[in-house]
Amino acid sequence: MRSDRVEQLLAFYRGMLRIRLFEEKILDVMLPGRMFRGSSHLSIGQEAVAVGVVSALGPQDYLITSHRGHGHCLARGMDMEGAFAEIMGRSTGVCAGKGGSMHLSARDLGILGENPVVGSSAPMAAGAALALRMQGSHGVVACFFGEGAINTGAFHEAVNLAALWSLPVVFVCENNRYAISVPVDVASARAKAIHERALGYGIEGHRIDGMNVLDVYDISMAAIEKARREGRPSFLVFDTYRFVGHHTADSEHYRPKDEVLQEFRAHDPIHFVERSVADDCIVDMTELVRIRDEVRAEVDAAFARALGAPWPSPEDALGGAYVETSASFTCTGLPG
Amino acid sequence: MSDPQAMRNITYAQAIRTALREEMKRDERVVLWGEDIGVYGGVYGATTGLQREFGTERVRDTPISEMAIVGMGVGAALLGLRPVVEIMYEDFLAHAADGVVNQAAKWGYMSGGQYRVPLVVRSPGGGGSGYAAQHSQNLEAWFAHIPGLIVVATCMPRDARGLLKAAIRDDNPVVFLEHKGHYTYKGDVPRDEEVLPLGKADIKRPGRDVTIVAWSKALVAALSAADELASEGIDAEVIDPRTLLPLDMDTILASVGRTRHLVVVSESHAYCGVSAEISAQVCERAFGELKRPPKRVGSHFVPLPYSEPMESYVIPDAARVAEAVRGLLA
Repeated sequence: MRSDRVEQLLAFYRGMLRIRLFEEKILDVMLPGRMFRGSSHLSIGQEAVAVGVVSALGPQDYLITSHRGHGHCLARGMDMEGAFAEIMGRSTGVCAGKGGSMHLSARDLGILGENPVVGSSAPMAAGAALALRMQGSHGVVACFFGEGAINTGAFHEAVNLAALWSLPVVFVCENNRYAISVPVDVASARAKAIHERALGYGIEGHRIDGMNVLDVYDISMAAIEKARREGRPSFLVFDTYRFVGHHTADSEHYRPKDEVLQEFRAHDPIHFVERSVADDCIVDMTELVRIRDEVRAEVDAAFARALGAPWPSPEDALGGAYVETSASFTCTGLPG
Repeated sequence: MSDPQAMRNITYAQAIRTALREEMKRDERVVLWGEDIGVYGGVYGATTGLQREFGTERVRDTPISEMAIVGMGVGAALLGLRPVVEIMYEDFLAHAADGVVNQAAKWGYMSGGQYRVPLVVRSPGGGGSGYAAQHSQNLEAWFAHIPGLIVVATCMPRDARGLLKAAIRDDNPVVFLEHKGHYTYKGDVPRDEEVLPLGKADIKRPGRDVTIVAWSKALVAALSAADELASEGIDAEVIDPRTLLPLDMDTILASVGRTRHLVVVSESHAYCGVSAEISAQVCERAFGELKRPPKRVGSHFVPLPYSEPMESYVIPDAARVAEAVRGLLA
């Protein structure tokens, strides 16, 4: 009989693979096939943070994320076909084709959405947490951002207010070491101790290995429960790394190729799980292969369905800028 | 039985406070936050007494954090509160523009209609008080350019009360621009509840010879000019659009159809302003009705100076409006 911990680890393994294979489809099939517009910001390498944190959230909780948020949305249960369709710009996309890769959201899952204006998600998370508290909910808001966000004014304004007003927010910093091209130590004072910025606000700050999904889960569970029970926000800094460019058009000349390879070999969060269960003969390798095959089939099927989905009609663009049901509002004076 | 016609003569600040108070009593989801709005009652007294009445949970003093004031308003609105946040000076909306322009205005659309943002951002603007260039601007054109927002700019007590109530009840984000030079201005406001429609202009003074469109405090200059012109035999119609997005062009076009002349007056600059939009639409849609090209009157195109003679010169007054009308009709 396997322990609950092993079952949990396998569930995390599946969750991480779903994100990895979803995003590899974007990189390997959709990019060369020109199946999306603009660019897409992949989190390949950062899956353990998404799965570890989101798995610690309860059904009454919310999350808001950044442009690099596919993983958080999928971990929270976003329909994979709807996500693919959105990135392809189809009418069946989760945002009906109006948002795209950088604006995925799902109200019924508590996904406030991706916010690609770096730093701006932090005040929104604090505001959402204030709403939950005033409504008598015990919900918590997880706010995801990269280490590039920690030098924005919006971030500091939000952390101050969350601490001051005892708001149930967990600020989750995914330190992947580069804000587009600028390394963390070029942009941030005391780059090795950014978690200590929490001290100035009197909240807990932790630096954790973001490549170990179990560690991520454990610290997140503690921080989320602290927010839920005591209304105390936390600042969690996860050391992670993206194995691909900032976005799908990134030349990546700001970092040596062998750095990426070394990081991948040494710290890939998915290999980490495979090694930890297989080396100790806890789980048979064939089971891991079976999980991988199942996830691949799920991703392929979702991708194929999305590819067959209809395009929006051009005029669909004109609807939805305003809620037109408000009794007091007349739309006759709107510009055409 | 209360008399539905009964009026109270109250200030513009009291009218705003009345709207906030009535809506807070009606709907517990309505919450307020901003700088100095609680104990102090707002730097212009618009929220005096509300924290005492509704408590520190619903009426919150914030730190000087404009990005968070609006950003938190957006986040709270997404989860069903109806925040009315105050940005102390319209100029400081530059700090908070991301929350208004990138977040509030777009979240509903970008999410494919999953979310709505019932947020009101109140902010006093306008010059004439000697606050110089960074505490006096009229920035309605910035926000009227953004799809997804509703923009109100009004300075009459009755309109302020009725439109603020509508703004709070609306499910769209509303930028509610007040004029700091008008908080002590008095006017009649119905004792009974009155919710005025957003997107509807009001004819403040009917007339036959010329249509003057003016909003916020420029309306007062326009009405004085109309009185002055009346003594010269010129009968001006004065229209306050009250809401600048959406804009009630139907009322303006109908008026121009009667008067055949248009002057648009704003305290903001005419260049790339809402007055440019109104003039353009009238030209596009009713060119044949016009006897003369429309004329715009706005603040001179400089930052607002401090010294009284210079400030008064830059901001359009009744004399400048009257002169524009005379020139148009000559």
